[in-house]
Amino acid sequence: MTTVLDLFVRLAWWLLLAPLLPGIINKVKAWVAGRRGPPVLQLYYDLARLWQKGVVLSTLASPGFVAGPAVAWVAVIGAALLLPLGPAGAALSFKGDALLMLYLLALARFSTTWAAMETGSAFEGMGAAREVSYAVLAEAAMITAMLSLSVQTGSISLLTMLTPSAGAGAALLAAGLFTVLLAENCRVPFDDPNTHLELTMIHEAMILDHSGPPLAAILHGAAVKLLLFAVLLTEAVLPMGDLSPFGATGALLAGVLAVTVGVGLVESFLARFAFRRVPLLLTTAVLLCLFALLVAWKGGAV
Amino acid sequence: MTPGPFLLLAAVCLTAGIATGPRRPRLWTGLSVAGTAAGLGAALLGLLGAPEWEWWSGFPVGGEELHLRLDALSALFLALLCAVGGAGAVYAGEYWSDHHYPASAPRGRAWWSALLLSMGWVLVSSNGLHFLIGWELFTVSAYFLLTLDRTRPEVRKAGWLYLAASHAGTVCLFAFFAALASRTGSWELGPMRDQLGLAPLLWLALLGFGVKAGVFPLHVWLPSAHANAPSHVSAIMSGVCIKMGIYGLVRFSGWLPVPAGAGWVVIGFGAVSALLGIAFAFAQNDYKRLLAYCSVENVGIIMIGLGAALLAAAQGDAPWGRLALAGALLHVWNHGAFKSLLFFGAGSVLHATGTREMSRLGGLWQAMPWTAGLFALGAIAVSGLPPLNGFTSEWLVYLGLFDAVTGRGPAAGGAMLAAIVLGMAGALALASFVKATAMIFLGAPRTQAAVRAHESGWTMRAPMLGLAAVCVSIGLAPVLFWPAVARAVGVWHPAWSPTGAPAPLFTLGAVHLVLAALLVAAAAWLWTKAQVNGWRRGLTWDCGYAAPAARMQYSSGSFAGIGAGWFAWILQPVRNLRRPRGLQPVVALRLEYVPETVLERVIGPAAEVILQVSTTVRRLQHGRLQSYILYIVAGLAALSGLVLLGGTS
Repeated sequence: MTTVLDLFVRLAWWLLLAPLLPGIINKVKAWVAGRRGPPVLQLYYDLARLWQKGVVLSTLASPGFVAGPAVAWVAVIGAALLLPLGPAGAALSFKGDALLMLYLLALARFSTTWAAMETGSAFEGMGAAREVSYAVLAEAAMITAMLSLSVQTGSISLLTMLTPSAGAGAALLAAGLFTVLLAENCRVPFDDPNTHLELTMIHEAMILDHSGPPLAAILHGAAVKLLLFAVLLTEAVLPMGDLSPFGATGALLAGVLAVTVGVGLVESFLARFAFRRVPLLLTTAVLLCLFALLVAWKGGAV
Repeated sequence: MTPGPFLLLAAVCLTAGIATGPRRPRLWTGLSVAGTAAGLGAALLGLLGAPEWEWWSGFPVGGEELHLRLDALSALFLALLCAVGGAGAVYAGEYWSDHHYPASAPRGRAWWSALLLSMGWVLVSSNGLHFLIGWELFTVSAYFLLTLDRTRPEVRKAGWLYLAASHAGTVCLFAFFAALASRTGSWELGPMRDQLGLAPLLWLALLGFGVKAGVFPLHVWLPSAHANAPSHVSAIMSGVCIKMGIYGLVRFSGWLPVPAGAGWVVIGFGAVSALLGIAFAFAQNDYKRLLAYCSVENVGIIMIGLGAALLAAAQGDAPWGRLALAGALLHVWNHGAFKSLLFFGAGSVLHATGTREMSRLGGLWQAMPWTAGLFALGAIAVSGLPPLNGFTSEWLVYLGLFDAVTGRGPAAGGAMLAAIVLGMAGALALASFVKATAMIFLGAPRTQAAVRAHESGWTMRAPMLGLAAVCVSIGLAPVLFWPAVARAVGVWHPAWSPTGAPAPLFTLGAVHLVLAALLVAAAAWLWTKAQVNGWRRGLTWDCGYAAPAARMQYSSGSFAGIGAGWFAWILQPVRNLRRPRGLQPVVALRLEYVPETVLERVIGPAAEVILQVSTTVRRLQHGRLQSYILYIVAGLAALSGLVLLGGTS
């Protein structure tokens, strides 16, 4: 009974809290620009509206066009459930769950790009090609970050890996993971979610042809993914295990808020990079994680 | 019950298959299925607890008495051989039928049986001489299968390259077995870990078996051979034949003492193969070449696991080596299953459209829904994504590598790099297979050939369904397959005796099961929801462009552009560019293909040099008697000079 209850509370955290983050980012951007901006709850309204709408399907689309978003949504939420939530721990924890989390995110990538390619549109092809190509470097950075946390704690289970602070390399790891967060969630400077030019988009270009409930699933999944990365970054850097349960919860919320505001600020003060510079920035992220790994390696006792 | 009678039955069926194959296709299919089923039975007995089976006979073959042996390790590979061999025999009935290929189909059936028989022979023979005989027969049978369609020049070229490369490898194996026999005084094979003097011989085995396994940069023969062979032959070559190289490596690194540093070499070549193999795959435009290069990557993953196990064994039998080797051996099965599935799917597409160019296909899901679905399943498996089998084995290899890192032993640095390479290779595999499935099956048909495509018949779909079932079951219930793999690991290294499945594997299996159910449920839910809300079909939006043409779709070359650009230093793409000229350009062209760089830029020029040197030297031999007499005189003078100078004693 308690496990079922626990699972529901957890799902509620992930499903209900996630759409708040894009709202906060937009509010920060509006505040910096001196605008009023859309309401913080705008994405909730959008999702509710989309869920009620009908669907326009491309004449070329196979059933995979609708199944893709569903698979991606389940995969992202599955990955999120593996992540511990501060004092509450994880829904399920076992040796090697860190790798399962990474590969569930990869499954989500496979199905969104698959759905994008369904329409035969060159714009969506461009978006999908960028998504899978940049993911190669992002994946290298993520594996390196996981290795660094493993070396720090002597474990391959997220619950143990994320309990202590990342130690001396925390700043490096934070910088590396934040860069990966921006890339994986298609934020500035990698991608501009607000642009109106399809040629320069990644994520938005892939979902041009989606509408109605499948689009709602994609947008909600993207929000959960952003929350996932924010939680991962916070817990990797802050010493969650040393805090009292209330302190840890507070730290987690504050950390997620700080990351979200940080994304908003980056988006306010930085322009999108030219695509040829994206690999350089991602390589920097890999190097930051690699240095964090070296610091953890030299840093001493397990 | 011993595997003996099953093996005998399999041998009898397959031999009968060689005899009856050319004239009786239906009987041949029956015999092949019966023979492979019997072989599978023997393999399962060997894997599920029967003690190691050995059989001697006084009957000499080639001067040596017969000695057969089936332990868990050979049974593991035998099971793969029989599964793919049986599936391929059923598939070939329709794919390479007498109706379409009256000249080569009868020949193909006989060679197929011969190939299965000789590979099985290699797996069970425990005598160096017999191993070599079987090895040579298997190489030659594969050559004749590869060149079934020998009227096409590129097939003959690929076959010739395969034969030459294979024999370069076989030379190393001749040296290896001969040196082994001369040092031990007998051709008999078996565990000889305590004879430390034999250790350097393993380098020869590494080279010889490495060529067969297609390890980068010894893989030069593999892409053209696997691309040009008939697809059922590609399936068995990629799924099983290259695994014979892996079998040799695993077998003899287990039986012989291992030289220091071998673990580093194996893991290093594994990492290079994994990354570069998949980089080449990503840049291909021919889907069968893409699959072939992807085999190089998967062999790399297996070698990473094997190398980690060798390192662990050298460092006091660290338990993480067991995980890495178990992952590698499970990946042997997994790759065999999903790669054969993908090649069968590719054959089905080739059968329906007659082209191997991805840029000439598209939109095939409508005409061939079964092939599209099964190919997609194989693509998810080969990209190493949960909940299918590819992830299970890669996850075990990862666990071994991460344990090596957290153990902070001397191998930790190598394990870190290997893990990062594995991650990048996985992401590139995903990119390659999104590209392949999307270009072949999604979007709009790019040519008339793709418009006219048709689904293949049941005898081609059934083997694909069987292999897909294997992929799904290893993914959803990995624990069931653990005992077999653990026994093979125990044979390789007795210190790692078989144990129950590790607890995380149970959890992973359960998670996969729940995940699979949720994925299906979510897809069904969203589908119904979309239907309830109401849907209509419209033109792809394409930013408002009202008249999209099929050729405007993103092509396979543009999809791979970014990733291929990063690897341009090794891919060396060849470009053919004709820019649009004038105010009203009529013609513009941009063709790009990736050559087999190692072959065309390294081995090709080296062969040219050797050829030039030999041509120059050949001028000495011209048939003029006077000059020959001069050579003899000069030779005698040189020898006398040598004797005079050194003649102090």
